[in-house]
Amino acid sequence: MNKASSKSKGVVIEPQETRSSEASGDLLRLLVENIKEYAITILDPEGMVTSWSPSAEKIKGYKADEIVGKHFSAFHTPEDVASGKPERELAAAAKDGRYEDETWRVRKDGTRFWANVILTALRDKKGNLLGYGKVTRDLTERKRAEEQIRQQSREILEMATVPVVQVWEGIVLVPLIGVLDSERSQQLMEKLLERITATSSPVALVDITGVPTIDTKTAQHLVETIKAVRFVGADVVLTGVRPAIAQTLVHLGIDLSNVTTRSSLAAGLRVAFGMLHLCVSAESAD
Amino acid sequence: MHRETITVIKVRGVLMVTMPADPDDATISALQEKTLEAMEEYEARGLILDLSRVDTLDSYFARTVTETGKMVNLMGGQTIIAGMRPAVAITATQLGLNLAFIRTALGVDQALDLMSEEHPV
Repeated sequence: MNKASSKSKGVVIEPQETRSSEASGDLLRLLVENIKEYAITILDPEGMVTSWSPSAEKIKGYKADEIVGKHFSAFHTPEDVASGKPERELAAAAKDGRYEDETWRVRKDGTRFWANVILTALRDKKGNLLGYGKVTRDLTERKRAEEQIRQQSREILEMATVPVVQVWEGIVLVPLIGVLDSERSQQLMEKLLERITATSSPVALVDITGVPTIDTKTAQHLVETIKAVRFVGADVVLTGVRPAIAQTLVHLGIDLSNVTTRSSLAAGLRVAFGMLHLCVSAESAD
Repeated sequence: MHRETITVIKVRGVLMVTMPADPDDATISALQEKTLEAMEEYEARGLILDLSRVDTLDSYFARTVTETGKMVNLMGGQTIIAGMRPAVAITATQLGLNLAFIRTALGVDQALDLMSEEHPV
């Protein structure tokens, strides 16, 4: 009854029977030979390769007869070999019983892969060091995916902080949303100047519709940004100046007398077109 | 000794000066003197100061540019600085470069357009 239900689940290992330990040893060997994701290698106490699995061949490119008897530093980068890292890894594994690392390793063809490496010291019952078991996993794909995600999130964050877009030839627009702190103001200034010079745009629209409140510091940052834009040879049109913002600016005594300001982005865009001597006309109805 | 580093040329009644990447104090003083001399000699419409090569700006340079702009204005000319780089512009705001008598342009081309628009021959 019990046996039948176990059978339906697949492999049955019966620890009581003497043959089963041999059978499980065989299975273990089958596992080592068939597992694809992990390169399993045995090293002698000096770090020479003594046993090589098919997965190791697949991941690292060496056939068993090419690598058995060679030192495992063949898998390390030249920089690591020069700094004595292979020896340090063995020493660490011998001392602590185990050593784990995520690092660049080298295939037979010289290409590099990002590897998770676990070295385990193998000792007999008296504690004599017989060698090391080495399990290597190729994590290049995962690392690449992680880096891609990191890169994307960095770009999204930067874009969301100060998005500078070219809306017309000669006009760049920054729609600012949220509180403008010192760090963001600095980013705004740098990115805006960089875009103005890169696109050779004489007009920059800075839209503050989405900025909830303005204090003296924020206003000062804006004034500085506008000044810097002037220095590189362009002009700022400040748009989205809502009634509350207009009141605040006057009460704070911020002098924007030589800055063109408009309440809406649409009005600002019209001013920008005017500065570039462009005119917008409706298409005739016929 | 360093005065040779500043060359003032006159193109269609406008003075043009290109500043070197890292002008020393002697070069900066030469800028003011040579420009004003040329203003008198040619009765120029103004000065276009090309800063596109400049990558450092100190307070002396900023003050000299501000002053020269005022002086050129007193002599009846318009000063336009052209092609200031973003990093230099950020420094300029901190140094308090004053644009009261100075116009700016993205480059020399735009500066010439601006000059002929606002101060025709």
